[in-house]
Amino acid sequence: MGLTLTHFVVLGAVLFCIGLYGALTKRNAVAILMSIEIMLNAVNITLIAFSFFNHVKPYANLLTGQIFAIFIITVAAAEAALALAMIIAIYRKRQTVDVGEIDMLKW
Amino acid sequence: MYGLYEYAWLILAAPLASFAVIVFGTRMADLWSRHHGQTAQDYAAYLREADPAFAAWETARGSGGHGEQQHAAQAAGHAGEAAHAGHGGEAGHHGDPYDDDPTVPYLTPWAKLSGYVGVVLMLLSCLYSWVLLFASLGLLPGTPRLPEEGITLFSYTWGSDAAFQPYTIAFHLDNLALAMTVVVTTVSLLVQFYSQGYMAQSAGYARFFAYLSLFAFSMLTIVFAANFLVIFVGWELVGLSSYLLIGFWINKRAKPAEERPAPSSAALQAFVMNRIGDVGFILGIMILFATTGTFDFATLAGNGPHGVAQAFAGNQALLTLAMILVFCGAIGKSAQVPLHTWLPSAMEGPTPVSALIHAATMVAAGVYMVARTFALFSAAGPQAFEVVAWIGGITAIFAATIGLTQTDFKRVLAFSTISQLGYMFVGLGVAGTEIGPGAGMFHLFTHAFFKALLFLGAGSVLHALHHAMHREVQDMRLMGGLARFMPVTAATWLIAGLSISGFPFLSGFYSKETLISLAFEHGNYGLWAITLVTAGLTAFYMFRAFFLAFGGKGGALGGIWGGPYRGEGTPHESPVTMTLPLVILAVFSIFAGYWVGFFQYLDPHAPLLDLGKIFSDGLTWLGVALSLLGIAWAYVLYCAVGWERVHKVVEANAVLRFFHRLLLHRYYVDTLYDWIVRYVVLGLCHVAAAFDRFVVDGIVNGVAGLVMELGSGLRRAETGKVQAYMTVFFGGIAVFAVVVFVLATLR
Repeated sequence: MGLTLTHFVVLGAVLFCIGLYGALTKRNAVAILMSIEIMLNAVNITLIAFSFFNHVKPYANLLTGQIFAIFIITVAAAEAALALAMIIAIYRKRQTVDVGEIDMLKW
Repeated sequence: MYGLYEYAWLILAAPLASFAVIVFGTRMADLWSRHHGQTAQDYAAYLREADPAFAAWETARGSGGHGEQQHAAQAAGHAGEAAHAGHGGEAGHHGDPYDDDPTVPYLTPWAKLSGYVGVVLMLLSCLYSWVLLFASLGLLPGTPRLPEEGITLFSYTWGSDAAFQPYTIAFHLDNLALAMTVVVTTVSLLVQFYSQGYMAQSAGYARFFAYLSLFAFSMLTIVFAANFLVIFVGWELVGLSSYLLIGFWINKRAKPAEERPAPSSAALQAFVMNRIGDVGFILGIMILFATTGTFDFATLAGNGPHGVAQAFAGNQALLTLAMILVFCGAIGKSAQVPLHTWLPSAMEGPTPVSALIHAATMVAAGVYMVARTFALFSAAGPQAFEVVAWIGGITAIFAATIGLTQTDFKRVLAFSTISQLGYMFVGLGVAGTEIGPGAGMFHLFTHAFFKALLFLGAGSVLHALHHAMHREVQDMRLMGGLARFMPVTAATWLIAGLSISGFPFLSGFYSKETLISLAFEHGNYGLWAITLVTAGLTAFYMFRAFFLAFGGKGGALGGIWGGPYRGEGTPHESPVTMTLPLVILAVFSIFAGYWVGFFQYLDPHAPLLDLGKIFSDGLTWLGVALSLLGIAWAYVLYCAVGWERVHKVVEANAVLRFFHRLLLHRYYVDTLYDWIVRYVVLGLCHVAAAFDRFVVDGIVNGVAGLVMELGSGLRRAETGKVQAYMTVFFGGIAVFAVVVFVLATLR
């Protein structure tokens, strides 16, 4: 018995839930950003796993999932840079990175 | 081939041309040449300086400082009126500046030219129509008679539709149209001529002639109409010109003490009441058009596939309904019961207008229309003619009884007109196909002349009294003995009164006795009795008016000619512009009835008017006896006894007083309509307004309010905390996933 698709999907799901939990509960904006990164990587794992274990012609030899993952990594890097910049800007303005206090996004 | 007749459209075009010339030409020049923005007194002062002709005219008239003198006279008139019972404090006297339409002391040449344009073009029209009349009688050598079906003068295809016959704007001339044309142009001419004297003080002199010309054009459109479309256009145009002319004295106020409305509201009443009848008219036309596919009178009456005979085959009830609806238009226009109340109110217009529109021509348009569509009425069930005859009969006696007690000179004539129009409808309703529309039209023909004469005579009296008392007097109790002062008016009025009463050898005798005997011959004894009694009533109220206005107890010839004058000042005979039309009309009132071939002229299959039979028939003399009885009774009451004593006797007797009140208040029909409008119509309007406000607006505002409330409630969910949004977002996805999962599993 080697590794099957199920192992990877369960790993992805567990990682995603960990990331989601972190994103929903953490007060620190940086921690939330990190949690989001975890969720993204959970998705990456499932994408690559589905792609790797796909035996349906004519998609079996295509690297669609892997390429998606590379895209996500790229976007995540850009997002991290942007989000950290925003967090720094908010910190300079409000002297806090607690998302509970940053609640201007309402009517 | 019918060379002379082909140009008959000129008769129609002439008044339209004079309307255009006056409105865009001479009236503009008149307004331009007048001194603006000041009162009549200032204007007179200005003219005295600027125009030597005016100064000379004023000196000759003996009234330098015209305005001041008139004011003094008005003040005197006011005092006299205040003493008169029921008039004190009323706004309706001449001295009130707010109750006075602008007068001019001096008509500009352009204003006079407007009158001349109207009169001259109408004179040409009139002469041409008389030439055509003689030609169509075969009296003009070299010109053939008109063919029975008539000739088309003008036809323009307005539109067409695959489902229907093309509809045209078409004018058509036949003997019926020609007979009516002669009446319209003759009375129009005389009235326009007369108006030159009657309206000489009015600032709207040019406008008045423009309206009269517009009316003549509209009326001739009805007369020449070849189809329902054109007759309806003319129908509305006469309604418009009637509206404009009734409300001509727009600044005059209502006189509640005399139960007289303001001219502007009287005009509105006439217009609106006619609309009520027109709803029926247009519905009837639509039924006819939808079923037959044509508006054309000749096609409708014919035997073709578009004729009513074929199109309504097996469905005669619908045709009957359509014709009764068409007759509704005539009820409105000819002021028949129950839409008669506008005509007495219309007396607020200038008297020449009453003579032309509300006595001789426009109100007879209903009669003419029924005569024009006579074949269609014949094709319908007998109920159609029965409705026509009975509405006419009821109206005749209804209006005649009201006429017995009215004290307003013009109102007596108004009710007399309504009553005589009822006669005409009786004539149309009982005649049947062998006589055709002749009987009704014959009475229209004779009535137009003597009724126009009565009105113009009344106008002459009012004109004289206005000059004598410096205020508007229409109450016969303030007249009396006027025959001494104005013999021409009195004599012509007497002739017209005798004619309308059916005095032997005058025109009214022939037309009226023919109608009455027709009702008897056709076994319609109810209508015969009604018309017979009405003849007596007519004679009574006509001579009551004559004796009250022109005669009186203690006058010459036993009170017939002159008597005590109950007004103020000294009335004078009217100028010759006013008396000449009276004399001409008096000639017509005597001789119009001797056209014995009238029935045959309209319908070649109809018999001649048999004068011998009329004179030898005992029933004729019964009618004459009743008329003479009416005259005699009027003489007894108003010449031998005197109206003051009659009034006392009536007031002392409870039964007589009840009937007097009932008739004086016109059976309270106006009161009833007032009540209906005030409470029922306006009540319904209030209900509708409430429905609109609370239900329709309520739904709209309710929806908006609901959305607002929901929004203001829901916005509390927007906390601005990003994690709350995220929770809801992922929670929503989870719920969605569960739902999809469950659905996928259950499938």
